[in-house]
Amino acid sequence: MTKEVVILTRPLNFVNYLSRPDSSALLSQGETVALVAFFGPLEVKPQSLRIDRACFEVNFRPKTGIQTVKDRFKENSIKSICETALLSALYPRTSIKLTVLELENRGGFEACAINASCMALLVSGISMKYTVAAVHCIVDKKGEIVVDPNHRQAKDAIALFTFAFDSVDKNLVACNTEGKFNMAQYNDCQILAKSASEKVFQFYKEEIRKIHENDEIVGF
Amino acid sequence: MAQQYKLIHPVKYYRDYLNSEIRPDGRETNKCRNVAVNIGSVTTADGSAVVKIGNTNVICGIRAELAKPKPSEPNQGFLIPVVELPQMCSVKYRNHSGANEDTDVFSCAIHDILVNSECLDLKELSIHNDKLVWAIYCDIICIDFDGSFLDAAILACVAALRTLKLPKVIYDVDINDIKVDNTILSPVNLKAMPICTTFMTFDDQAMITDPTAEEEDLSSSVINIAASKGDICFVRKPGGTPLSETQMESLFKQALDRETELLKILDDCFSQQNHTINQMVE
Repeated sequence: MTKEVVILTRPLNFVNYLSRPDSSALLSQGETVALVAFFGPLEVKPQSLRIDRACFEVNFRPKTGIQTVKDRFKENSIKSICETALLSALYPRTSIKLTVLELENRGGFEACAINASCMALLVSGISMKYTVAAVHCIVDKKGEIVVDPNHRQAKDAIALFTFAFDSVDKNLVACNTEGKFNMAQYNDCQILAKSASEKVFQFYKEEIRKIHENDEIVGF
Repeated sequence: MAQQYKLIHPVKYYRDYLNSEIRPDGRETNKCRNVAVNIGSVTTADGSAVVKIGNTNVICGIRAELAKPKPSEPNQGFLIPVVELPQMCSVKYRNHSGANEDTDVFSCAIHDILVNSECLDLKELSIHNDKLVWAIYCDIICIDFDGSFLDAAILACVAALRTLKLPKVIYDVDINDIKVDNTILSPVNLKAMPICTTFMTFDDQAMITDPTAEEEDLSSSVINIAASKGDICFVRKPGGTPLSETQMESLFKQALDRETELLKILDDCFSQQNHTINQMVE
């Protein structure tokens, strides 16, 4: 059972790093770093053309070597999460592409990748239903919950969770777990992760404000 | 007339049924399909099982091979699920490009469920530290893909692991000599039996248990929850309709109930002489 609660959120940093893609996001969460490049809406290959919506593709590149089965699994999660947030019906007969590159994984990479992808989508200005914030948390050996742990803290975790919440109703969009846990532990983690997700939404707002402050000056 | 209506407006057809709180196949929203389990069906495999959930039909064969362990984990064996979605199983996989992604996702999910539930202690698969271990390959082939594949695959995998018998191996480390005695077979120590349940949401509100392939195509999100010994060992909700805490909690409760139901079927199956069982899940 849960004895003590440790809320710890590592610092978030964002840069629109690449110049050639339509938008990009280099997002670091503590020592975990993901780089996302966004392309779209682009011309679509005839075989993947959808008449009612955009064809959405995610390409996940691991730090070293070729894609493993685990990487495909992550790629699939990122794709479905972004697909839910996107209003792809507004871009029929086009394709939208995200390339996610793992730069450094020091715990909670999946959450970092989801946040970076969402940031890249936001910067690109593509229409979205809501934004998504992902939070990683663990239950450690002593039964304590740690939100957004670092590499060392996550080392001997008995259960790991990655939650993603939407920005409107703050409901659960996605969830991936590792390890064994009971319902009470899950509920505690979800509630804590939900409150921690506020920080991520706040971060999105601040960063987007910074970008558009500069735009106004140029415009006038 | 109903048939044409279904073809033209599949979503509305389904919605009309749900408005009267029944599904097109006659089930209520929280009811599962019939489950049939047959064990030891493939005599050439070291362990095997066939599972049917409604029309979904999955066969699992286990082969045990001797292997050298990874240098990073010298005292651990391997448990490797391999999912195959042949072209015959569904129109979705008529060309191989679509199947590849899904086979990887399912293989990874099955591996996660088996490892997270700690059903096999990989250390017990070790024969000699850093030299020789068992590699257990679970080949899972889908014959008929009619929704809730992961439920059937996990059940087949667990049933097959329960039938698995490993021969005695005598390993002489000095001369690197391996002797396999096929007359002495011993079952593996299965510590847990995880059970997976698939749920989906329709129209962002209705919660549906054990969907068919037709229903999965109309769904707004699919959720997999695996339970083992009253605990949860796997939750996968990849996007789709956002759910509240109370909704998630009701799904967990259903998943835990399903665990006891299916384990009972599995136990009945192993206690019967002919090792086949067809059972209604009420």
